[in-house]
Amino acid sequence: MGSIPTPAAEREGAMWSASERIICWQCGAEHAPGPFCPACDAIQPLPDQADYFQVLGVRRRLLLDTTALQKRYYELHRRLHPDLFQTGPQQARQASVRNTAAVNRAYRTLRDPIDRGLYWLTLQGESLGAGNKQVPPDLAALVFELQEHLEELRAARQGNGAVHLVEELTAAHAELIERQNALLEQLEQNFARWDAGGAAPELLTRELKGILSALAYLGTLIRDVEKGLET
Amino acid sequence: MERIFGIDLGTTNSLIAYADDDSLRVIPDPDTQAALLPSVVAFPGVGEPIVGARAKAKAAECPLTTIASVKRFMGLGMEHVTPADREQYVFADDASPEIVRFRIHDRTYTPPEISALILKELKRRAESVLGEAVRHVVITVPAYFNDSQRQATRDAGRLAGLEVLRLVNEPTAASLAYGLHKQNQGLIAVYDLGGGTFDISILKLHEGIFEVLATNGDTRLGGDDFDRRVAALLLAEVPVPLRSNPDVRSQAIAAAEAAKIQLTKTDATVMELRAGTVRVQRPLTRAEFESTIADVVERTIAPCRQALKDAGVSPRDLDEVVLVGGSTRVPLVRRRVEEFFGRTPHTELNPEEVVALGAAVQAGVLSGRKKDTLLLDVVPLSLGIETMGGVMARLIERNTTIPVTAKQVFTTFADNQTVVDFHVLQGERELARDNRSLARFKLRGIEPQPAGLPRVEVTFMIDANGILNVTARDERTGREQSIDVKPSYGLTDTEIERMLEESIDYAEEDVTARLLIEARNDGEALLQATRRALDRTAPDAAERADIEAAMARLADALRDTDHNRIRDLTDALNRVTTPLAQRIMDASIKDALERKRVEEVL
Repeated sequence: MGSIPTPAAEREGAMWSASERIICWQCGAEHAPGPFCPACDAIQPLPDQADYFQVLGVRRRLLLDTTALQKRYYELHRRLHPDLFQTGPQQARQASVRNTAAVNRAYRTLRDPIDRGLYWLTLQGESLGAGNKQVPPDLAALVFELQEHLEELRAARQGNGAVHLVEELTAAHAELIERQNALLEQLEQNFARWDAGGAAPELLTRELKGILSALAYLGTLIRDVEKGLET
Repeated sequence: MERIFGIDLGTTNSLIAYADDDSLRVIPDPDTQAALLPSVVAFPGVGEPIVGARAKAKAAECPLTTIASVKRFMGLGMEHVTPADREQYVFADDASPEIVRFRIHDRTYTPPEISALILKELKRRAESVLGEAVRHVVITVPAYFNDSQRQATRDAGRLAGLEVLRLVNEPTAASLAYGLHKQNQGLIAVYDLGGGTFDISILKLHEGIFEVLATNGDTRLGGDDFDRRVAALLLAEVPVPLRSNPDVRSQAIAAAEAAKIQLTKTDATVMELRAGTVRVQRPLTRAEFESTIADVVERTIAPCRQALKDAGVSPRDLDEVVLVGGSTRVPLVRRRVEEFFGRTPHTELNPEEVVALGAAVQAGVLSGRKKDTLLLDVVPLSLGIETMGGVMARLIERNTTIPVTAKQVFTTFADNQTVVDFHVLQGERELARDNRSLARFKLRGIEPQPAGLPRVEVTFMIDANGILNVTARDERTGREQSIDVKPSYGLTDTEIERMLEESIDYAEEDVTARLLIEARNDGEALLQATRRALDRTAPDAAERADIEAAMARLADALRDTDHNRIRDLTDALNRVTTPLAQRIMDASIKDALERKRVEEVL
């Protein structure tokens, strides 16, 4: 393992607070959290409280280059995957499974902007919550129309006349996708403002929550329409 | 480190392979050179079970004591047994319903026990060819196998005296063999239609990393279904009272399979069977064959569509499509796959061997011999637990890369509730009852509190084999309860222990010791047979002297422990007694023919 260069991201500071220390299970050396012991190169279990950015060893930024993130993900697997520790000691095998599981979870979350936004909300001590299901006002009319069309389509399946409805639903689907894209753009802008700093976090959190609620709502709607068109 | 072997434990055929420096090798049967071991086990009533080609040959003769396609029952309970299954197998309905049990002669067998016999045969084959012990293996499973089916496969390995280091998904294994073969980059689809299972996997290949993006399938769909359809055509020609006769049915299945294979090369064939005194013939053209199986082939398309959708790709994004499994030799399957994906599929590697070869690649990775390849596989079906109202709360979504952990906090429903029942589920449906039940367990010792206050954190951990481990922790006490996760379907540890104790050739097996036992058994058997032959026939003096000298030498070797010497002297005795055996054989055939003639006259 020693021959593999440490990726740049790991050398960037401020990833872990200075007080955070790990004792190596193999050589007993005390060191800052990281995938490998700097003294003996043994794989180290990540601390429980590590967040997804720390797990992947990337800077805590919301605007992420997903291609670079994927590259990082592959790099980590090449060093941490349980297959590489099959013949190693028990502690190394356990650390490997634990770290790989964390890497998989972190990558799955951060690669997707919506999941990344939702995760960021939880880091702010917030969540969308189950009670947040009301229709976003500007979507109300469209939602009403769509539900009607879907009902009609279900009824029309038995007889003829479904063709016309399918056409309308397909058009509505396209419109929903367009709105989704617009919201994703807003999400990116919100991310950029977080990364730039300066803006009030409460304000940004409230905005982020609004965008994510609308996206969650749209997502469900799009799935419903797609399901209606499939069957 | 000892060599690790790759095993494809198939519905129809099984294989064992290994990676040797730069090449991948399937280990053939030392006598027949056949690479495929038919996954068939026959129980003759007396003596050891018979595995492989000889067992398959017995299927028509004793269909009810011969078990084929046991993989279809791995990890299932009696409730999953269909009426069609009952026509082919005898089940023990009086035993526990959590696991399928076959009744054969005076005892019952579970699917893992029968699979273990197939694994043992592969182990024996590899040991006698390579002369080294086989202990550590990688076994492949259909990607769409759920947790119970995976557990059952691991149990089979354990019962065969093997340490299963890893379960690898079959299409993923195939891609490993293909990827190494072609040094691919890009997106590939692996369409794997075997004897009893269908899998589709979409993978991204990137500098030696094989990342599965999505997988889908049907664990009860395969070439066996083609055979059953075609056999029905032949059976329709049989007089009604004879149709349900097990012997006739199994002849029909065998004829259907032969016709299917024949029709991959020719446009027409004739199926034939014998029912009592009646000989039945049924011509079959390729066109009729294809229309007979068309809807079965069509059932593979919806999973393909879903896998592409889950992977977020369309057919034109794919760089390659790879065909795996014997059933992809059927021309209609190839045409349909080509049509759906819009490109000619790859078939360079033998579709029946490619999974075992891939398992050998993964074995090489695990042993540290192969450092440039890495497999990132996924969990095929979502995992979660049942919550109030019978709804499934998903903790891990399907197609999540493994290993992976997920946590969720749950609370109590009633005031002062001290016990929480957990029901672990796998599947894609909303309601718990529509999904597969994996396990139930209780978390006790929760402090009495008003409903909704206790916080129980449930952690799902899926290891690199795709096998689930569940823990639950009461956050207030901080105590992690020790939980007994009892699989809903499958063998308990105690049952496995008992089966292991019952099985004779388990324990720290020494290959030399076993080779000696086998050599002794063969030697003793030949000595006895020769003695009987000498009593029954009268060879001339010179021949008798030769034979007796060879017998004395073998008897002497049998008192020693050199299995090679026993083998050599057994072969020597065999050679000098061949003319004698031939004469006895001729006499008994003549005898049999004469008796037959008497019967006909009567």
